[in-house]
Amino acid sequence: MAFNGTLRTAIDIGGTFTDLASYDVVTRSVRFEKALSTPAALDEGVLECFDKGSIDPAAMELFIHGSTVAINTIVQRTGARTALVTTAGFADVYEIGRANRPDTYNLFFEKPAPLVPATMRFSVRERVVPDGRVLVALKPTAIARVLKQIKAQNVQAVAVCLLHAYANPKHEAAIGRAIRRALPDVFVTLSHEILREYREYERTSTTVLNAYVGHQVSSYLRAIERPLRARSFNGRFLIMQSNGGVMTAKRAVQVPVAMMESGPAGGIIGAAELGKLIGEQDVIAFDMGGTTAKTCLIENGLPKMTDQYYIGGYRDGYPMRIPAVDIIEVGAGGGSIAWIDAGGALKVGPKSAGSSPGPVCYARGGIEPTVTDANLVTGRLNPTRFLGGEFDLDTAGAQAAIEERIGRPLHMKVLEAACGIIRIADARMSFAVRAITLQRGYDPRRFTMVAFGGAGPLHAMAIARELHIPRVIIPPQPGHFSALGMLLTDLRQDFVQTRVTDLTGLTAVQINEGFGSIEMQARASIAREGHAAEAVALLRSMDMRYLGQEYTVRVSVADDLSDPDTLAMLRQRFDVTYDLRYGHSSPEQPVQIVNFRVTAIGRVDKPDLASLQDKRIPVTSTSRERLVYFEGHGHLHCPVVQRAEIAEGSVIVGPAIIEEYASTTMLYPGDRALVNKYGCLVIETGGQ
Amino acid sequence: MRDAVMPLLRQRADPITVEVIGNSLAAIAEEMTVNLARTAHSTIVYEVQDFCTGLLDAEGRLVAQPGAGLPLFVGDLDAAVGDGLALYGPDGFAPGDVILTNHTGTCGQHLNNIVVYTPAFFEGKLIGFPATRAHWTDVGGRLAGGFLTDAETSFEEGIQLRTLKVYKHGAPDEELFRILRHNIRHPEASFGDLHAQIAACRMAERRLQELYARYGADIVGDAIATGWDQTERMVQAAIRTYPNGRYVAESFLDDDGVDLGRPVPIRVSVIVEDGSLTVDFSKMSPQVRGPINSGSAAGRSAARLALKYLVAPNVMANHGCFRPLKTILPEGTLISAREPAAMSWWQTPILTVIDTILLAMSKARPDRIPAGHYSDISAMLLTGWDSRTHRAYTNIEPVAGGWGARPHGDGPNATYTIGHGDTFNIPVEVLETRYPLHVERYALRCDSGGPGQYRGGLGLERIYRMLDNGMFNGLSERSKCLPWGLKNGLPGKSGSIALKRHGQVKLEHFQKITGLKLKRGDLLMFATGGGGGYGDPLTRPPERVAEDVRMGYVSIEKARQSYGVVIDPRTGVVDLTRTKALRSGSLRRNLVRKRPATTKATSRKRLN
Repeated sequence: MAFNGTLRTAIDIGGTFTDLASYDVVTRSVRFEKALSTPAALDEGVLECFDKGSIDPAAMELFIHGSTVAINTIVQRTGARTALVTTAGFADVYEIGRANRPDTYNLFFEKPAPLVPATMRFSVRERVVPDGRVLVALKPTAIARVLKQIKAQNVQAVAVCLLHAYANPKHEAAIGRAIRRALPDVFVTLSHEILREYREYERTSTTVLNAYVGHQVSSYLRAIERPLRARSFNGRFLIMQSNGGVMTAKRAVQVPVAMMESGPAGGIIGAAELGKLIGEQDVIAFDMGGTTAKTCLIENGLPKMTDQYYIGGYRDGYPMRIPAVDIIEVGAGGGSIAWIDAGGALKVGPKSAGSSPGPVCYARGGIEPTVTDANLVTGRLNPTRFLGGEFDLDTAGAQAAIEERIGRPLHMKVLEAACGIIRIADARMSFAVRAITLQRGYDPRRFTMVAFGGAGPLHAMAIARELHIPRVIIPPQPGHFSALGMLLTDLRQDFVQTRVTDLTGLTAVQINEGFGSIEMQARASIAREGHAAEAVALLRSMDMRYLGQEYTVRVSVADDLSDPDTLAMLRQRFDVTYDLRYGHSSPEQPVQIVNFRVTAIGRVDKPDLASLQDKRIPVTSTSRERLVYFEGHGHLHCPVVQRAEIAEGSVIVGPAIIEEYASTTMLYPGDRALVNKYGCLVIETGGQ
Repeated sequence: MRDAVMPLLRQRADPITVEVIGNSLAAIAEEMTVNLARTAHSTIVYEVQDFCTGLLDAEGRLVAQPGAGLPLFVGDLDAAVGDGLALYGPDGFAPGDVILTNHTGTCGQHLNNIVVYTPAFFEGKLIGFPATRAHWTDVGGRLAGGFLTDAETSFEEGIQLRTLKVYKHGAPDEELFRILRHNIRHPEASFGDLHAQIAACRMAERRLQELYARYGADIVGDAIATGWDQTERMVQAAIRTYPNGRYVAESFLDDDGVDLGRPVPIRVSVIVEDGSLTVDFSKMSPQVRGPINSGSAAGRSAARLALKYLVAPNVMANHGCFRPLKTILPEGTLISAREPAAMSWWQTPILTVIDTILLAMSKARPDRIPAGHYSDISAMLLTGWDSRTHRAYTNIEPVAGGWGARPHGDGPNATYTIGHGDTFNIPVEVLETRYPLHVERYALRCDSGGPGQYRGGLGLERIYRMLDNGMFNGLSERSKCLPWGLKNGLPGKSGSIALKRHGQVKLEHFQKITGLKLKRGDLLMFATGGGGGYGDPLTRPPERVAEDVRMGYVSIEKARQSYGVVIDPRTGVVDLTRTKALRSGSLRRNLVRKRPATTKATSRKRLN
């Protein structure tokens, strides 16, 4: 494919800022921009970034975009007027859900409010059974009747989810055809087009989410694309997906649910790619911003994935069964508020001061002390160089707030209280890291942490210490790393087919057949994205379990299963994977296959990370040393280094502070940072 | 010391360390639940979450118990570990031991609930016990799967395993395993669950040792004690938000399954006094012949669970959490039964006990207590032979129901009981794949929610068609003392179980049934109860009632009868004139007369 442009540009929309990273393939240079996010009309912030950075859309060969538009549509409930069609007798499944109470001891718990109310749920007489046989055929009269009901409701979108449609989608397809023919303006989502996996509630919920956000996402993408095209943007428009890959904007319009967690995935992919570049295949990605910290495990260069998560949170959110980068998020960021509970225990977060009123030290009306205030009071942050000196911080105000609200009630000195706030925030974040490592059977001591986000470099070393992580990497431009990461992604689609089968007695031929139809579907789908077939890799895996269990463990499967030994190896690999995860296995027990999975990856040419050096003019420093308070040490003299001034090969020994625009790296006593040839800080954790 | 920036260790833990260690202990217990749920071998454990985990100290006091798992099990692991400490003495444990117990006299629950715990050691000293409880599909007894509704002694229900070391010094006791293997029906599945339980405990042992190695025994011990104190203060503060006083309530169950038709009274009184809460069960029904008894550990746990709901929803269940609670529970009552009382359905009365405690407390703070919920496990036990897979199967499944309306809103529809928590239903697609069953209908049950200014939540209907022969045990309760309304709200409907034999038209109805043989093609129909209403239904805005009718929550007839709202069946529009007339006239008088004045069993005659 011939494109004239030389720029690859990525834009990431976060809660506070919209970030742009643009890479010029000719000059091999990268440019970064930041603009305030515009939640009311997200496209405005995007276009502002273009203008601010004078990026010429005509010069772009590629535009990659990650956005919160889909998730915002759910959270704000501004989606389409949506109808749901189900098998007769099961129209309430969507409202019943799983009947569980995550908020267990709350007598006033709430179930997720259905996005489709009972009055908009219609059903058809038909029935398919688990092996795909049709028990009750769908009659044309039934289709006609439901079509009439839908028309009467004047809907914008329809979700169709019939029982066992994952095994035989014939009936869903027939209904889909009828609606699309009769109501061409209505956005139709059929469950089997989104996922072919059993569990009707989760599949229904995922289908409804897709239908519900369809209109908003299409018009949003049009709003972004149109002005760019008007300015002669002639390249490819790709959308970041929750699974860490990208898809064409055309596909995003069909499967908008795949971009639900589009934002944070970019940074995780960036961390994985950075790891590969410098020979670190096993990485803990750590991203800390203003309100939350996010972490994800990367093993052998691949981020861990999850098959299900909850839009709007586990307590009362909507389940979505779409593979997504498995990010654990905790409410601990720079703006997280420190408070004392009724029992007298010090807590940090999850409430955040956000950007308004912000931490006390912003002097914009905040009165509750935050993590940022504690960092300032202890000398970790520079009061005069915040955001490159865009505004000064109020140290006295922060001190007073910590003293009054934390120190005095706990009988602690203000500096001790400030250290306590930092330590609790660090502990909360380290629990998130523990959850993706120790709790899943991974030893953090064999991983390297890649820390980014505005606040990540400030807290990374404490977390590394807590969990004995030996090495931490701070990439250049940690505050823009998520946008940068988007430039490093491939096209990706995930396919699944539930087919519960005993492994014993299966032949390699049967397993190959099981994958065959899915792979055909995968190839066709990637081809529709306009991607050359030869650049597509198909990865097979299976979800397996011991007979009698419900939860499965995923095992990757070789392309060629003709060798009889491969079956035995498959079995063995399952036992080993199981043992790694849970600490025991039962090699003598029969095993079942539940799902066949195929991941299709269309390789995209990517910029060379090695060339992504910061070309900004260094800021001159105001001081070369300041006092920083450490728990157990008291005040220590810390050298203060400007990151832009340190050359490749430089070594900085902690305690020390490394400042740059929008981020600060904190080295503890004993830490040792080396600047590598890519401009990364490679820090060996001290005190191990 | 490993960490250069850590504070110098003192003998007492500073507030920050207390918080960090507290979180670590919670994380360990949490990790146990994740591991156990994901590796268990039966649906009742991994979907129904019929299990719990916890950490206890060397004296058997509760250190941490996560929110996940079954709330019914909150704070009664100490009884199981306490029995081990009493029998073996504090020096009677060695590394590698695994102790198992299901003793009704100790745990007070049905024999299927198997507690497995291990002693954890640090530097040669006992530091505590990670413990788990999981529902085993079978523990012997008269019929596969237990859940007998007609048993009169525990001997019919299975094998009693009181505090046995199934592993000693890391080696299995082969003789004990031989006994187990030949006394339970599906030993492979149960041993699978046993190994999942042991693995969860072992993992917790390692994590505890890491924690002790990092902070030292003194600091961890002090952090635990301080954490208890903090929790206790939080609970006391929350109790103080209820006015001092003695609050009494009463309800009753239909019968015990053996003495049919004889109501079983549930009487509680709650005394609030300056930050302490006493639950007095002295007037509770004496223990009964049928299998709905439970032991005192379960009775105490019911009070603890009520406390959690009332004042400590977000507080970690631990020893300190329950210190402000006193329980007066004489021996020999329904919830403190003596051996060999039958306990197959021990959990059903506990739900009503908790709801009755809440009912008592609604007199203290009416703004904080919802109306009664369906309060019935509505469980089915279906066993049989699957000729598709040539395997025996056991499906145990509680069915969700309606919750009571709140002082400011409608009750939630179709949610598991107050004794369940993050419990999941079995998806129809999974159920049909696993078992020779076909689900014909799974829907909200119209008109089951108690009418009120705020409407009670709806129960469910679930219809199964048998694809093979099988056997069924089931129990449906509270058909007489319906899920109560509050503040003139009306009660919710009760649940029911019905059978439609293949080729027959007539329905057979059951309240309590054991060993019912089912044939291919038979239909088993479950309906679960709805929650009670809150406030006078005649004050519910007619438009809200009309909306309920459009949603299919309330029928047009019920709208008229209970809410006094007249709706045109063609248009769905409210006839305001006739509504006004109905609401101010005869219906008001009628409703007042019909409104049940009491939930007391004593006001009703014995039925047969």
